[in-house]
Amino acid sequence: MPGVASESGGGGASDSIGGALVPFLPDSQVAVVYPLRHGLKPPISRVSVSWALGNTLRVSVFRPPAVESDHDDDVGGKVLEVKLGGNGDGELSDAQWRRIAYGSVSPFALLQSRRNSALSLSKMQLSPSPYHLEWWEYVMEYSKDISSLLGHPKSSPDPVIEDPKEVLKKVEEPTCLKAAWDLMEMFYADKLSQAWLPERLVKWLADYDSLLSDTQATVHLKLLEFQGRLVTLQVVEDDSKYWEVVSSALAVGWLQIVVKMLRLHGSYQLDQLGSRETENGLVETVAVLISKMPRLCPELEAGNLGECYKAKPDFMKAWERWRAQVTKLDSSAFWVQCDHRQTREGLKNLLQILLGNASILSTVTCNWMELYISHLLYIRPFTVGLESLYSLAQKCIQLKPMTSPHKLMQLIIGILGENTELILAECSRGFGTWMTAHAMEFLTAGSNQAEVLLHEERDNLGGISVMELHRLVHAQVLSSHILTWQIAPIYLISCMKQGMGLLEILLSRQPVKHNQLLIKNLEICRLYELDSVSSNIMKIAGIYHWKHGRKGSGVFWLQQARDEVCLNRIAQQLFDTVGKSISDESFKQWEGLIELLGSESKPVGGLEFLHKYRDFKRSLNQVYDGKPTDATKQAVESLLSLMKNPSTPQRFWLPLLYDSLKLLNWQERPLLNVSQTNLLLNKLQELSMARVRPDFIEADLPPQALSSVRLALATNLGRAILEES
Amino acid sequence: MEITGLPQPPQVHRIPQFRYVDSIRWLPSISPFQKSLIVAFFDTDTSTPSLEIHSLSPSKTLSLLSCWNPPSRISSLKCTPSLIAASTFSGSLYCFSTAGKSLESVVAEPQVSVVGRDFHVGPIGGVDLMEGGSDCVSVGEDGRVNLVKLGFEGYHGKGNCRRVFDGNGLVSYTAVRWASPTEFVTGGCGFGLQWWDLRRPGSAVAQFKGNWDQGTTSGIIHSIDIHPSRKHTCLAGGSSGTVFAWDLRWQQEPIILSGVGTNENKTHSLSESDVWEVQYDSYIKSSSSSISSSRILPAMICSEDGILAVIEQGEEPLELLAEPCAINSFDIDRQNPSDVVCSLEWESIAILSRP
Repeated sequence: MPGVASESGGGGASDSIGGALVPFLPDSQVAVVYPLRHGLKPPISRVSVSWALGNTLRVSVFRPPAVESDHDDDVGGKVLEVKLGGNGDGELSDAQWRRIAYGSVSPFALLQSRRNSALSLSKMQLSPSPYHLEWWEYVMEYSKDISSLLGHPKSSPDPVIEDPKEVLKKVEEPTCLKAAWDLMEMFYADKLSQAWLPERLVKWLADYDSLLSDTQATVHLKLLEFQGRLVTLQVVEDDSKYWEVVSSALAVGWLQIVVKMLRLHGSYQLDQLGSRETENGLVETVAVLISKMPRLCPELEAGNLGECYKAKPDFMKAWERWRAQVTKLDSSAFWVQCDHRQTREGLKNLLQILLGNASILSTVTCNWMELYISHLLYIRPFTVGLESLYSLAQKCIQLKPMTSPHKLMQLIIGILGENTELILAECSRGFGTWMTAHAMEFLTAGSNQAEVLLHEERDNLGGISVMELHRLVHAQVLSSHILTWQIAPIYLISCMKQGMGLLEILLSRQPVKHNQLLIKNLEICRLYELDSVSSNIMKIAGIYHWKHGRKGSGVFWLQQARDEVCLNRIAQQLFDTVGKSISDESFKQWEGLIELLGSESKPVGGLEFLHKYRDFKRSLNQVYDGKPTDATKQAVESLLSLMKNPSTPQRFWLPLLYDSLKLLNWQERPLLNVSQTNLLLNKLQELSMARVRPDFIEADLPPQALSSVRLALATNLGRAILEES
Repeated sequence: MEITGLPQPPQVHRIPQFRYVDSIRWLPSISPFQKSLIVAFFDTDTSTPSLEIHSLSPSKTLSLLSCWNPPSRISSLKCTPSLIAASTFSGSLYCFSTAGKSLESVVAEPQVSVVGRDFHVGPIGGVDLMEGGSDCVSVGEDGRVNLVKLGFEGYHGKGNCRRVFDGNGLVSYTAVRWASPTEFVTGGCGFGLQWWDLRRPGSAVAQFKGNWDQGTTSGIIHSIDIHPSRKHTCLAGGSSGTVFAWDLRWQQEPIILSGVGTNENKTHSLSESDVWEVQYDSYIKSSSSSISSSRILPAMICSEDGILAVIEQGEEPLELLAEPCAINSFDIDRQNPSDVVCSLEWESIAILSRP
């Protein structure tokens, strides 16, 4: 599924470009053993291996042909499919990927149709920009729809009695995919949040810092470790780790956690309140100051601390006032009266963080991202614009270089640096083809420059654009799975250059074994008006069913495909069977097939003969000696029309006449007049001449058949002449 | 085509399964408060089919009660109050008795399994259990019509299997439905329907061949339903959105309820894609006050283009659900017809509660 195939997909694409966009690391050389459970009795004579869908191998295991075919239940062989490789980085299972793939179809299709109508509108109005102003609102809607598929980082319901020592709330494990999507949405789709980008980044890190722990040291990890120790600690403020963790949490702006932890301070305990009054006052003052920190954002989520300001001038004023309060507290005389050294130093440290002491921020944060957030919070709270955000990020990377890269951090660098190629490469490497194909909507919504880059047709990609390339790759991944191939067409048709061709290949390659799948395939052909593809598929299905002994189904599908050539050839084969087997008894079996052949207006090739032959046989069966009845008359008419009809195969002429001996030898009076008898005699003559030809097929009849027919015809002719005269 | 919405739309719960749902049915339950479902799944990651019984809680969550792994995927699934029958794509049939058993043990092991080349070769197109009886009829793409008599009194094994007809592959059957204890109807290619009577063996007693579609393409019947009070009429759904009723009393004149190319008949075409299942819907009361016996009762259909709707002769269709993916099967709870369950192509189940 997407996870695995993205590697090969991305790798393949970069090969064709020449010079890898994404470094491709071959997997470790450990041999993997896949057990084959074929369940066949030994000996096995032959094994054949071929590729099946996606990354599965089809292994066919054969036993030697049975000498005695008395064991009917023994199977001669078995076909197995072996799935190679696991699923990506294991963050999401195959089934979860499929669910995301299904769910993103509708938002994607909606956005494409909106884009198309926007484009046609702009062509009519000749306006310079193809998208009207509200385009980002559509992208935002698309983003929200898809984001909801990727899961909600919701916390478990609050317990009735809050555990005072639980500083980190238990939340559902977030996924990198969701984190990356949120990041893209924040920067590209959500135009309203542009003014509050720093605050959004703080929030983002608070949600997803745990993900960075995979490759980095993080504050989250620190907190997690400390939470484990917290239960055993009697006097928290004596523990240096306590102060370290508090300052780290403060540095990345997790105010709620900081305040909660500060209130664990021993001086709050009732028995100590009296003796540590000043100390407690200082702790509480710092806690209050922290909880009053001004934040530039439209609104604070429930439970988040700080005072929120929507307009920048208000925020700046509040910020200055708040800073003045912090400075005042820092130089307060009360610190001297604080006896507890750790508390005094710890709190002072917190104040330094609030005042934006760069060196302390650098020591209490664990990686550049956290350092970056702390700078945004405490040193440069008024930062606006991607450029200044980017230069600050670079500064932080220099201060805290990455030991091992993390895909989310790489993505942030790409976004801040407005480096579209880097973003695409990171998406494709870190998050799979699904992400790349869907995140491109963000990039084009974000800037005109990126749009040009993505839509430009490139010779080194075979004349397609980068956008199309990534959609095609995603479609290929979808096509490789038995359940998702049906949604690949949505992506293929959004590809102008090669989409249609690949769609035809995809549809033509689907197995025709099961009617249900076949019909689903034909339905897609109908939707995209691919009539020639659908008739090809029906032909394949027809031949498949025919070969497997389901003659009725075979004829039905070939009829649907209007394939006269095949139907004619099949007719010849059927006639062989008919000549032998249409006895009166087996006729019931043929009834259904002949019903299917139906009316003459349909292209049934030579098979329409069968229909008439059936009618003839039926009326002949109702003919009894004695007075000529309607049935007799009908039988004669059927015989004549069959003999006159050019589609009646020659080899049936004699059997037909032989079957109708009782009509020719009618006791009471001749049933055929002179001209009718002459017609039949001529046919008989033609037949005698045809016998010398090498391709003549002798009917399976008694040797005296020809002479008895000839005699009957001659007798009938004589009687008819007499009667007419 | 205008489609009227319900005054109050049904409540819909979609439950993702992360496995393909081949078929789904309500299990008749003893208590109205305990609802349960039987579902045929196919796990593509491990290539294992399974037949599972789940209980459905009032908050619409499923919990597994019992499970059995058939050797091949389930092609058709039917339930009566006492029996469950499941047929496979490899041509075998498995039956389970529900009488006097807890749901936890119902599908632990089939009581009757019929396998082998003497039974069906290739996929079984449809099975049906006789209401209140113990006969199971199965039809296949191989053109065979088989009757399995299920005697469950301490009986384990092959059942009592009888060949009703062998079409030798010259015809293929895709659907079957009992009409009475001795009669049933089969359907197949070319919109063909066959009426069989066990008292007159050898061949079908009546045949219907759709001739209304002269010039346009023909299709396959996917599903048949017969109302217990109107045994002479058979309702069929198939390709190109076609739903029609075939009345034995007027054999050559099908009553088309929905379908393409039927403009002159003023019928409502709901969908142009395949109708996978049809069932009479006892929840919708017929809107016309005079219910004549020739009028077709309201029926529910589901289609490849994701529509679940109720259609009624001469009325606007009532759309219950419009999904972005195919609805492959559905079932109306017989004890509480306001509840409908359907299986969606995108590996999920939808449960509808009608107001």
